Amino acid sequence: MASISLRKLVKKFGELTVIPDLDLEIPDREFVVLVGPSGCGKSTLLRILAGLETIDGGEVMIGEERVNGVPAAKRDIAMVFQDYALYPHMTVRQNMAFALENKGADKAEIERRITEASRLLDIGDYLDRRPKALSGGQRQRVAMGRAIVRDPKVFLFDEPLSNLDAKLRAAVRAEIKALAQKIRTTMVFVTHDQIEAMTMADRIVVMKAGVIQQVGKPEEIYERPVNMFVAGFIGSPAMNFFPVTVEGDDLRLQTGDTVPGHAVPGFATLSAGQDRQIVLGIRPEHLDGAGEGKGEGVPITVDLVEPLGSDTLIHFTLGDVAAIARVSPDLRLAPGDRVSLVPAPGKARLFDAESGKAIQ
Amino acid sequence: MRARSFSVPWFTVLNVIQLTIAGIVVITPTLWMVLSSFKPSFEVTAYPPTLIFSPTLENYASLSQTTPFLHYAFNSVLVTVSSTLIGILLGAPAAFVVSWTRITWPAIVSLVARMAPGTLFLLPWYVMFRHFDMIGSYWSLILTHAVITLPIVLWVMLPFFDGIPRSVIEAAQIDGCGPIKIFRRIAVPLVSTGIAVASILAFVFSWNYFLFALVLSNAQTKTLVAASFNFIGEGATNWGGLMAAATLIALPPLILAVVVQRWLVSGLTLGAVKG
Ligand SMILES: Nc1ncnc2c1ncn2[C@@H]1O[C@H](COP(=O)(O)OP(=O)(O)O)[C@@H](O)[C@H]1O
Ligand SMILES: [Mg+2]
Repeated sequence: MASISLRKLVKKFGELTVIPDLDLEIPDREFVVLVGPSGCGKSTLLRILAGLETIDGGEVMIGEERVNGVPAAKRDIAMVFQDYALYPHMTVRQNMAFALENKGADKAEIERRITEASRLLDIGDYLDRRPKALSGGQRQRVAMGRAIVRDPKVFLFDEPLSNLDAKLRAAVRAEIKALAQKIRTTMVFVTHDQIEAMTMADRIVVMKAGVIQQVGKPEEIYERPVNMFVAGFIGSPAMNFFPVTVEGDDLRLQTGDTVPGHAVPGFATLSAGQDRQIVLGIRPEHLDGAGEGKGEGVPITVDLVEPLGSDTLIHFTLGDVAAIARVSPDLRLAPGDRVSLVPAPGKARLFDAESGKAIQ
Repeated sequence: MRARSFSVPWFTVLNVIQLTIAGIVVITPTLWMVLSSFKPSFEVTAYPPTLIFSPTLENYASLSQTTPFLHYAFNSVLVTVSSTLIGILLGAPAAFVVSWTRITWPAIVSLVARMAPGTLFLLPWYVMFRHFDMIGSYWSLILTHAVITLPIVLWVMLPFFDGIPRSVIEAAQIDGCGPIKIFRRIAVPLVSTGIAVASILAFVFSWNYFLFALVLSNAQTKTLVAASFNFIGEGATNWGGLMAAATLIALPPLILAVVVQRWLVSGLTLGAVKG
């Protein structure tokens, strides 16, 4: 158990600066998910925490200790790798015992911890098998087991679910979350999958090109994204972005339709006629289908219908923007149908088109 | 089966022909050597070679009477095993470091050294060992033969170490291992096939190497291969004795190769560790 703090962190690979300048505080016992598109430097950041990569500037603190030059072996952290990285020549039991043996734990203690961890993860039945004889899901569990028995200061996970099939992934996601709540150790979990981030995190760190975009609780990130990147990255299907202009008390869309300003947070800070490009961001789930000709909402024509069972996604085009709305399946919409969409009050976001920053 | 026999591609036929030729080239002299070693002296050089003869062990018997054959064999084993061991003990860690750090120049240097003709080293070594009064010592042979084995071990082991996923080594680092422990507990067990292959190749090359032993050994420390030279020249060559000696000398590498051939082939073709 330990807090983590990164201060003015710089990481380069030769000429390539992967992390230009990064600050991050992770309190003790928090489950933090680092999320961002592939190649944004998440793994690099995690490996820096692990001591597997050197840094080119700044400070890495684990607990009260400055660990800049401390090798991975001395950091007392555990890591679950994307490919699990189990020792192929060792049985599951030996895999789990290895780190404890290195620490010089006694036999009885090692046995006790393995028993406990294997009960927690339900891997007791194949303790004497080699990794080769296990399925992907089982290997994943063993990798977790190998981390748990350590009782480390910090757990690091590098996309541990990406090699599992979709169904298993959802199940393991829930398990890891339950596990995290049980063991309550500081955990840093890296993923490019925003659903994993939303479902598991105490706090989410959204990264892009080595720069932290936003840090916050999942609902904060979802409800109040600080910029268009975060807004578009978190949430599925992604937020729709419509260019708008301010007209009196309304926002005018490219098509000439208007959205009442009072329903949009941040509208009050805008003044009419401003020479500023503004983008209205609305999530698909915040567009309600109101049926045709009720006088309110924005009329659109349905291009494509994707029934999900509980909801239906309708694809439409507004001006030159392709957009999606998540509506009730009871509307029974078909391609070509006309429908009016009403933004849920208080849910839309405004962004400065140029900087991408949210207008609060 | 019938359908197949009609569709044998032309290159399969070519392959068979190639292999047959290669087989004849390799097997004929070997066979000739082995057969001759069992022939009475007068028949060895008979032309055309006799295929039917009454086999005799006289050549083998004469070997141990006319030469300290067993002593030479002991020398060969001592030098070969020692130089192979040195090759493994130094070459395997070196290969691991080269593979992990991807600093390849030591491997290149060793390869160049290995490819250079042995005569290049011979004179400086001779001068050096003479200076230390080590000519004729086992150490001079073992050390020079280690120069044969080390690059072999390094280069044979390299792809095996490359085959270990980096994350496995990193996992061991995170699990609290220093470099030496990682090498012993993780890397070595994962490349055991490679070590076997490297040992065998190093053994065979060292066993067969002739030049250094010829120059740096004396009557006491001569290896078998160097000693077999005694049978040639000095008036009449003892062909029967030479054939018997050659057969015995060729035996250890041959036996090794046959025993481990499947291992050897799979080991040479892929060094990957499958998780
Ligand atoms: N060892 C390395 N050498 C050079 N470049 C690297 C190395 N590791 C990662 N990179 C580069 O750093 C960037 C970030 O990589 P990474 O941290 O793996 O991203 P992510 O995990 O977010 O997908 C990428 O552009 C990648 O190509
Ligand atoms: Mg990654």
